[in-house]
Amino acid sequence: MSEPIPAAPVVVLLHALGLSSRSWDGVVDALGDPFDCVAIDLPGYGDAAGSDRLTVEQSALVVAERLRALQPDRWLIAGHSMGGKVAAVVTAWAEAGEQGLIAPDGLVLVDASPPSPEPMSEQRRAGMEDWAEDGPVSPAQAERFVDQNAPHALPALRETAVADVQRAAPTAWLQWLERGSLEDWTDAVGVLRTPAVIVASDPGGDLGPAAQRRLTLPHVPGATVQEVDGAGHFVVLEQPQAVADAIAGLWQRVSGPRALPAAFARLIASDRVSAKTRAVMLARLDGPGDAPRALDDAQRDLLTALLARIIPQRGTDLDLAGRIDSQLAAGNDDGWRFGDLPPDVQAWRAGLDTVAAVAPGLADLPAEEQDAWITRFSDGEAGSDEPGLLDGRRMGLWFEDVRGEGVRVWLSHPAAQAWIRYDGFADGGDGERKQGYLRTRAGEREPWQRDWRTGAAR
Amino acid sequence: MDLTRMRRWAEHEEVDAVVIGTGAGGAPILARLAAAGRSVVALEAGPNWDPADHTPDEIQANELYWTGERLSGGGTPEAFGGNNSGTGVGGSTLHWGAFCPRPRADDFKTASTEGVGADWPLTLDELLPYLLEVEDFIGVSGPADYPWEPGRSYAMPPVARNAPADFMAAGCEALGIRATDGPAAMLSRDRQQPHWGLRPAANNSGSIHQGERTGAKATMDTTYLPFAVGHGAEIRAEAMVHGLERDSTGRITAVVYRQHGVDHRQRTKAVFLCGGGVESPRLLLNLDLANSSDQVGRNYLAHPAAQVWGRFDEPTMMWRGYPSSLITEDFWRSSDDSYASGYLIQSLGVMPVTLATSMARGGMWGERLMDRLEHYDHFAGIGINGECLPSDQNRLTLSDEVDEVGLRRARIDFTFGENEEKITDHGVDVMRRIWEAAGAKDVFVLPRNAHTEGTLRMGDDAGENVVDRDCRSFDVPNLWVCDNSVFPTSMIANPATTIMALALRTADVFLGRPLPA
Ligand SMILES: Cc1cc2nc3c(=O)[nH]c(=O)nc-3n(C[C@H](O)[C@H](O)[C@H](O)COP(=O)(O)OP(=O)(O)OC[C@H]3O[C@@H](n4cnc5c(N)ncnc54)[C@H](O)[C@@H]3O)c2cc1C
Repeated sequence: MSEPIPAAPVVVLLHALGLSSRSWDGVVDALGDPFDCVAIDLPGYGDAAGSDRLTVEQSALVVAERLRALQPDRWLIAGHSMGGKVAAVVTAWAEAGEQGLIAPDGLVLVDASPPSPEPMSEQRRAGMEDWAEDGPVSPAQAERFVDQNAPHALPALRETAVADVQRAAPTAWLQWLERGSLEDWTDAVGVLRTPAVIVASDPGGDLGPAAQRRLTLPHVPGATVQEVDGAGHFVVLEQPQAVADAIAGLWQRVSGPRALPAAFARLIASDRVSAKTRAVMLARLDGPGDAPRALDDAQRDLLTALLARIIPQRGTDLDLAGRIDSQLAAGNDDGWRFGDLPPDVQAWRAGLDTVAAVAPGLADLPAEEQDAWITRFSDGEAGSDEPGLLDGRRMGLWFEDVRGEGVRVWLSHPAAQAWIRYDGFADGGDGERKQGYLRTRAGEREPWQRDWRTGAAR
Repeated sequence: MDLTRMRRWAEHEEVDAVVIGTGAGGAPILARLAAAGRSVVALEAGPNWDPADHTPDEIQANELYWTGERLSGGGTPEAFGGNNSGTGVGGSTLHWGAFCPRPRADDFKTASTEGVGADWPLTLDELLPYLLEVEDFIGVSGPADYPWEPGRSYAMPPVARNAPADFMAAGCEALGIRATDGPAAMLSRDRQQPHWGLRPAANNSGSIHQGERTGAKATMDTTYLPFAVGHGAEIRAEAMVHGLERDSTGRITAVVYRQHGVDHRQRTKAVFLCGGGVESPRLLLNLDLANSSDQVGRNYLAHPAAQVWGRFDEPTMMWRGYPSSLITEDFWRSSDDSYASGYLIQSLGVMPVTLATSMARGGMWGERLMDRLEHYDHFAGIGINGECLPSDQNRLTLSDEVDEVGLRRARIDFTFGENEEKITDHGVDVMRRIWEAAGAKDVFVLPRNAHTEGTLRMGDDAGENVVDRDCRSFDVPNLWVCDNSVFPTSMIANPATTIMALALRTADVFLGRPLPA
């Protein structure tokens, strides 16, 4: 049994400079019922025009607060222009389990302002600042601003957008132009692991397809870039269906089971877990990637086959062989080895070569025959006296290492820990008094403890 | 720990003593000498931590273990690293289990009472005042009545029992075996620790082997070391000793160590070697020192520490609560001579990666392993700590491989002798019965051994021992060794408080103080 998959996710929508949550009305309509859309007025805009929490960080904190209140198990976040920068920051926090957030299922960046300083001509920046220098943007300027960015806006959306631009707090407007858009968040955002789609209006302006590929894509390297032909920068006002399709398409792609059950991810993100513990656990979500290796392809494939039998994973599908290989290459060292085996890298290469020599084609044998070989090797009954290979006794020792390392690497992954329903890492956060546990006896549980495999109460 | 305001000495200043290693042996010596006004510098190979830096994550906790490679051989090769060897300011106490049974008088003389093993040159009477001082200073909690010693009591009530302890209590009761809360250097009440500050009562985290983050568990860096620094001792972390300079008379004049890639040389009048049961003999063998008896590295000892596991109907979630909260000493001596000396039994909560690794190393794999791990949250364990007697076949030698500072690596060959096998068999049988009586299903056994002792034996005869009854080298007049390695027998009680007591006594000898009769 694993975590149930909800029909549809929460979709958090963050608007562009001057606009408000209402700019997403067309997208929300187009997405329709199955999506639980939460369009947010960022501080200084829409109904939040009175807020003075105007920095990028504070805007992201406001979004984080909303998410903490909502506690969505599955969620997407979409950010348009200015909102895109905020969405990227929120996603980075959520991936790191910071601010009590769990990672989103997907990120949609619509003509997004990148984490880096936004490319904007000084002349245009100065011109736009002028509009709010002496108070709210005037009706005429507001119309001009909307029309320039969305020459083909749908009439109803145009009307609310023009009204929203006039409602926007002048300080918020200035804050973004003078500070927020120029802040460098590249390191803080880093490379995101959340699946992403970049929507770029074409020809677009400063934030069109070329800028998105150059400035945004490096933060979401696997993202697809969807160009929306003939659209202006305020594409949500002009072609909401195209934006909605991008969001729905992404959900379709990511709606399978998550890397971590939501309740478990939320526990990792909670204040019962220290920042250090959270960081080391979440870092393990990344596979070995192209980390340096110690084994060649054939050795690695054989190890994969052996581990599939030795550690038949439940609740996960990790590249255990790849993880072990990159550890070997990094020289990770547990403080001892069998004195009768050569140093680790040599031992693993020799052990695998011995399997290949003594039991050729093992990976293609029926499971029972593979298991029979594993038993013989483990019992020290199969090996080779050829130079460079391991004899039976040494194979027995090395197989002990394979079993030990295999299960260690598997169970150090948070998803495996969720599967065995372990929460011992949540024994206290970074406060002066660590929470620990109040209940220690069999059958007793704390109110917050769950069946982490499914997220259900115990 | 906070080292920012400690007193510092220059390398060319000749200090009264250098202490190598800051674990259970080194820390109390440092504290005693500093409090007596001696100038003392501790050199510690590992880093300095704040308890809050630790993490329950078992993989990350590798940072607390001695990870310099050791070669393990013999019939029952011992795992090192996380199994028994710490590093850092505080030594292995950073991740010790804080289980503190006391040795008994007979444990010091297995040769004269049972005709096996070796007698210690010291008696319990000589050590007991120090043991009590240690327990009082680091804070040991335990039961109000100790079934095996009428009149013994502990200053603080025991910490909460966890699920394995409850099951062990039930199983023992059904079989008529006496059991009670284990003595533990784990606070059950908030207390102020001199020169450290508030140490809170235990919060029932079970991850204490990964480094306890609150100070509830006594470690050297929350007890003796802050006291030492408060009295003017200096501690240099990440300082790996690899040389001892001597004058023409053979006295040590300086200690050579590498810190951040640079070699330093501290002048000193005396040296206390407290690197633990593997590193202390390794250093002496590498330097070919203090070995006229040819005993350095011999009689390596490791406790038989077999475990029995089972699955219970109710969730045990044994990552909660102090891991070894119940003890029985009923098997400390055999009632029918089926083994010499004996063993204790403790209840066990073990964290998942550690347990799963032992299971897999013990021979489980495939669906059978997974079927068991599926019930990890219903597991409870029980384990022995048994006597290990000295044997010629168990020996630490040097391999040809060389470490980063140019010292040859240690190779440890260890094979259980007949008595260790007997103790293990007996213990496993008793534990199986306890677990069955407690309602355990799918009971399985994990063979194991624990701790690193022996190798620099203490004794009265210079021809057969490395140090004398006061832990002073027979060969090098200003070299003292005080750690796990001086143990003539392993004893049944877990070793740490005995080492601390020996350390205080050794310091008193050095200071010329009168010793308890
Ligand atoms: C997981 C675990 C659980 C345990 N549980 C218990 C328990 O419940 N009860 C109990 O009584 N005992 C327990 N022990 C054992 C106890 O911790 C040790 O017996 C005790 O700490 C040994 O003290 P020591 O001084 O000999 O060595 P250590 O405490 O290991 O200290 C040696 C120090 O010397 C340093 N060192 C070594 N070589 C050098 C060098 N060349 N230069 C500089 N520094 C050096 C090391 O880095 C280390 O910090 C446990 C041990 C472990 C590992």
